[in-house]
Amino acid sequence: MSYIEIKNLTKDYGHGKGVFNLDLTIEKGEVFGFVGTNGAGKTTTIRHMMGFLKPQSGSVTINGKNGWTDSAQLKRMIGYIPGEIAFPDAPTGTEFLRRQAELLGLTDMTYAEKVINQLQLDPTANLKRMSKGMKQKTAIVAAFMADPDILILDEPTTGLDPLMRAQFVDILNEQKNKGTTIFMSSHMFEEVEHTCDKVALIKGGKLIAVKRTSEVKHNENKEYKIEFLAREDYLRFLSEAFTILTRRDEQNQVIIGINDADINPLFRTLKGYPIKFIKEIKYTLEDYFKGIYEEDKAHA
Amino acid sequence: MLSKAIFKQTLKSNIKLWLIFTVIMTVLHVLLIVVFNPSTISDMSGLVKDTPLASLLGEATFLGMLSNTFYGIHGILLPIVFIIMTANSLIASQVDRGSMAYLLSTPTKRSTVVLTQATYLITSLLLMILIVTVAGFISIQTFQGDTQISLSNYFALNIGLFLLMFATSGISFFFSCVFNLTKNSLAWGAGLPMAFFLLKLMGDVDSSLEKLKYISMNSLFNTDAVLHGENYTIQYVALAVVGIILYMLSLRVFKQKDLPL
Repeated sequence: MSYIEIKNLTKDYGHGKGVFNLDLTIEKGEVFGFVGTNGAGKTTTIRHMMGFLKPQSGSVTINGKNGWTDSAQLKRMIGYIPGEIAFPDAPTGTEFLRRQAELLGLTDMTYAEKVINQLQLDPTANLKRMSKGMKQKTAIVAAFMADPDILILDEPTTGLDPLMRAQFVDILNEQKNKGTTIFMSSHMFEEVEHTCDKVALIKGGKLIAVKRTSEVKHNENKEYKIEFLAREDYLRFLSEAFTILTRRDEQNQVIIGINDADINPLFRTLKGYPIKFIKEIKYTLEDYFKGIYEEDKAHA
Repeated sequence: MLSKAIFKQTLKSNIKLWLIFTVIMTVLHVLLIVVFNPSTISDMSGLVKDTPLASLLGEATFLGMLSNTFYGIHGILLPIVFIIMTANSLIASQVDRGSMAYLLSTPTKRSTVVLTQATYLITSLLLMILIVTVAGFISIQTFQGDTQISLSNYFALNIGLFLLMFATSGISFFFSCVFNLTKNSLAWGAGLPMAFFLLKLMGDVDSSLEKLKYISMNSLFNTDAVLHGENYTIQYVALAVVGIILYMLSLRVFKQKDLPL
């Protein structure tokens, strides 16, 4: 049985809102990205994992325990960043964190201090007057400070500047190396592409696909764009034995698809051609999911 | 069952409001006790004679006057306002704002949250009325030494006041647990107690509106019955039962509902 299992989860809010027959499995130690546009059902799924919502049908099981009935017990091992952050009444960030620690039964604040330093957060500031970024950092500290086994993060980088985003990714990687299981949602592929082991796309409350990022990153089938200096070279190249995906006659450009194993024959052939440039077209996670999504639409 | 940490947080964010209402209520109570000496009472009843207000003022004894002022209006309205504000802030407003997520993302059961918050609300009301009673008792001893006052009736009035407020807080707390939005929690949690208060008041002022009294829960706190030695035990028990049932329902509802956190 997987560490986190979402089985046939359905919550219908009407008007196509909610989640429908969602199935997801997350293994222990995995970093799982959950991508979708606003209103796709990311937060609804996360609220089920946290035991805030009762499934209409289906279930969430975490470490063998039911996400709805054993919710309080499960929180011993879960750190959570809500999608929309609203702190309880507390004068300062420090006081808020102290109270959270009390509720968590946490006495050792060493790790909390470490995260505070890494994020360069000044928690002594007035909690209500904090900027969006500072609030987000405080929320990150609150979720991480007990060093939990599972992190459930609903768009955790909202409001962080690029520098802090990088810091946050460092902290995530640290956790990942420790074996923490991380589930994070995002509306951007780039964000999850580099941090997550697996990424799922959700749209209209339905799971579109799940993909290992390594399969995308280490894809051996690559695409290259080649532009030739002279028209006759371009035309001559077209008759070579390569898979031409696109031809652009006006620019003397071709896009070829090639497996890494055939890369040397390509270069040997190109020796005889004066070319203007050659460029690899990066295949991203987004391209992958776009492809699947468009296929899906074509079938529908 | 109860969380010390949550109770401390609740106390910190709510004690100011409690203090303000307790002080206002105590001062008002003491003032009314001081003012109602035999000569003012006969002056006032002469003043309103043959007007509709006469029935509101009721009989011209010390406790009679106190019943129709403090135990009919101020002493009811002030704690109702306190209850409305506090009950909403204890649950619904925290769900509405989303800050409840920070309680429930720790290993705290929903039932612990509800029981702790309910304990705060009930305890704060008990203490408020206890303080008013003690202050009132001392003032009666100090300023009304010559007047014939049945102390057992006085204490019975205060117990009734507490039971009415206990039941009322049950109403507001229940709706605070039912609704995820402050506006809905307030519409019902404030609307119903205020309606009960006004219906009872209207029924008291005008005999043609007397029937309105019977649809108001507040009529279960019948000061006339207390003062005339009629049996009021059933009404008091009814208020206690209403309160207990509402708090139990609150717990049930909150444990089972969906929370947008």
